[in-house]
Amino acid sequence: MYWENELETLKRNNLEKLQVKRLKDTIQSATNSPYYGNLYQQMGLLADSVKSVSDIQKLPFTTKQNLRENFPYGFLGLPKKELIRLHSTSGTTGNPTVIFHNRHDIDSWANLMARSLYCAGVRDTDVFQNICGYGLFTGGLGFQYGIERLGCLSIPAGAGNSPRQIKLMQDYGTTVAHAIPSYLNRLYEVFLEEGLDPRKDTKLHTFVIGAEPHTEEQRQRIEEMFGVKAYNSFGLTEMNGPGVAFECTYQNGLHIWEDAYLVEIINPETLEPVADGEVGELVMTTLDRQAMPLIRYRTRDLTRILPGTCSCGRTHVRLDRITGRSDDMFIVKGCNIFPMQIEGVLMKIPEVGADYLITLDTIDGNDEMIIEVEVKKDWFNGDITRLDKLSRMITGQIRDEVLVKPIVKLVEPNSLPKSEGKAVRVKELRVALKS
Amino acid sequence: MAYQVSIFLENKIGHLERVTAVLKAAKINIHTMNLNHTANGWGILNLVVSNPELAHSLLIENGLSAALREIVVIEMIDQPGGLDDLLKGIVNAGVNFTNAYGRSGYGNQNAYFVIDPEDVSQAKQKLLNAGLNIMSDESIYGTN
Repeated sequence: MYWENELETLKRNNLEKLQVKRLKDTIQSATNSPYYGNLYQQMGLLADSVKSVSDIQKLPFTTKQNLRENFPYGFLGLPKKELIRLHSTSGTTGNPTVIFHNRHDIDSWANLMARSLYCAGVRDTDVFQNICGYGLFTGGLGFQYGIERLGCLSIPAGAGNSPRQIKLMQDYGTTVAHAIPSYLNRLYEVFLEEGLDPRKDTKLHTFVIGAEPHTEEQRQRIEEMFGVKAYNSFGLTEMNGPGVAFECTYQNGLHIWEDAYLVEIINPETLEPVADGEVGELVMTTLDRQAMPLIRYRTRDLTRILPGTCSCGRTHVRLDRITGRSDDMFIVKGCNIFPMQIEGVLMKIPEVGADYLITLDTIDGNDEMIIEVEVKKDWFNGDITRLDKLSRMITGQIRDEVLVKPIVKLVEPNSLPKSEGKAVRVKELRVALKS
Repeated sequence: MAYQVSIFLENKIGHLERVTAVLKAAKINIHTMNLNHTANGWGILNLVVSNPELAHSLLIENGLSAALREIVVIEMIDQPGGLDDLLKGIVNAGVNFTNAYGRSGYGNQNAYFVIDPEDVSQAKQKLLNAGLNIMSDESIYGTN
């Protein structure tokens, strides 16, 4: 039933005792980092002043801005020689968000990932195809280590190239796959183009989907198309990556592993905790990370903790689906994107004006990012080739920055909202997010 | 020197008419035109009009992206084979161009062929040497 029987079903009071102990250790090791060291010294804060889980509210929040300002080593609680890996977000207009791991951290993450997959019904008899970019992105290696820890045969397929994905599935009898939900629509189309029915022509029984907002309806469609069970996965680079919270086979919310993460839900305006079960911003503290502990990290993800207990018997609370963001970040094809990154690229291109509009839309079942930009009037000379080159240059530069290829549309002057004041920069037309 | 007025247009209902409305109000006549379209939702409209300078400044005033672009206008005989004869001449002259369009002859006016080469003055010289007739401004725009 469970990957770790005792830990997963620990009684709440014992789970909280474990959290307090680990929180103290975390504060102790955080104090060794330049950032927390200075901060807590100024506040006169000691690890021993934490007596209960709610005492965490005495500590200040950590933001993405703090991480950027102290890039790259300001949050490091261990000497550099202890580190064995880093993962990083794509380069933003500021510094990228980088997380360092020592051997213990990688080991603990692999275990949480294995626990997550086991919780979704994956077993060591499965053949697991990880359809996900490897490299700095956490979804590749994060899953890889978990799949191996669990003992499945892993296929580190990487992202894209649908005909090859299908061939791998058929050659090795893939039973479980991990991918972002929008990609699975594309994959299904390729199955049909090749005259195949994934329900009959593969051994797939489970999909793990995540890294991208999607609705319950999208999940059900994926389940019907492929004849599988699809489980929702939640993670973020700052908290390792995947393996933070996972659905169990009851598919009613994502169990967040509370022995490894302390969870709070706050009102993003007042910064006070919300009432039980209410939607707010997810705030997380690492409880089992040595190299780079993060305390009260504001994830900016909006969600709630589901009331009641789960029939699976696990005592760790369940998160609802992520319903939005308390900042302007958006996610396309599994990549986190801030409008500022796009703006930063456009500002450096003298041929275009400062105004732009990002439209997120579902086109032929795929999420697309359409960027409209105005060409400067006095640069225009009637040459179509020059405009076409400009359009391709903008496409390439934005893709290099955010790792998603946009559809760039050049538009007539003064047709976009002006940059002064609170102009709408991002228009959301995707099915999963259109409200 | 001959000019076309080039206008950047999004491929949307009413955008072409915005241009013609400006020309109509100023009583500017359109002699010939062509409209290019790209896959990215925009295109370029090229116009040979009775008064290119005025058309250009009025379109800019009306908020459009417009440019005056020098072209080469070559006289063409309005009969079967007329364009082929002309193109053979262009081939012999060794001139390449990215965009081209034409106009039929009517009344006592000959037909003509408009090309948009990379280097206009060099192209003109080569075409003249190859024996082609480059149209004068007067015969394109009229004398009034």
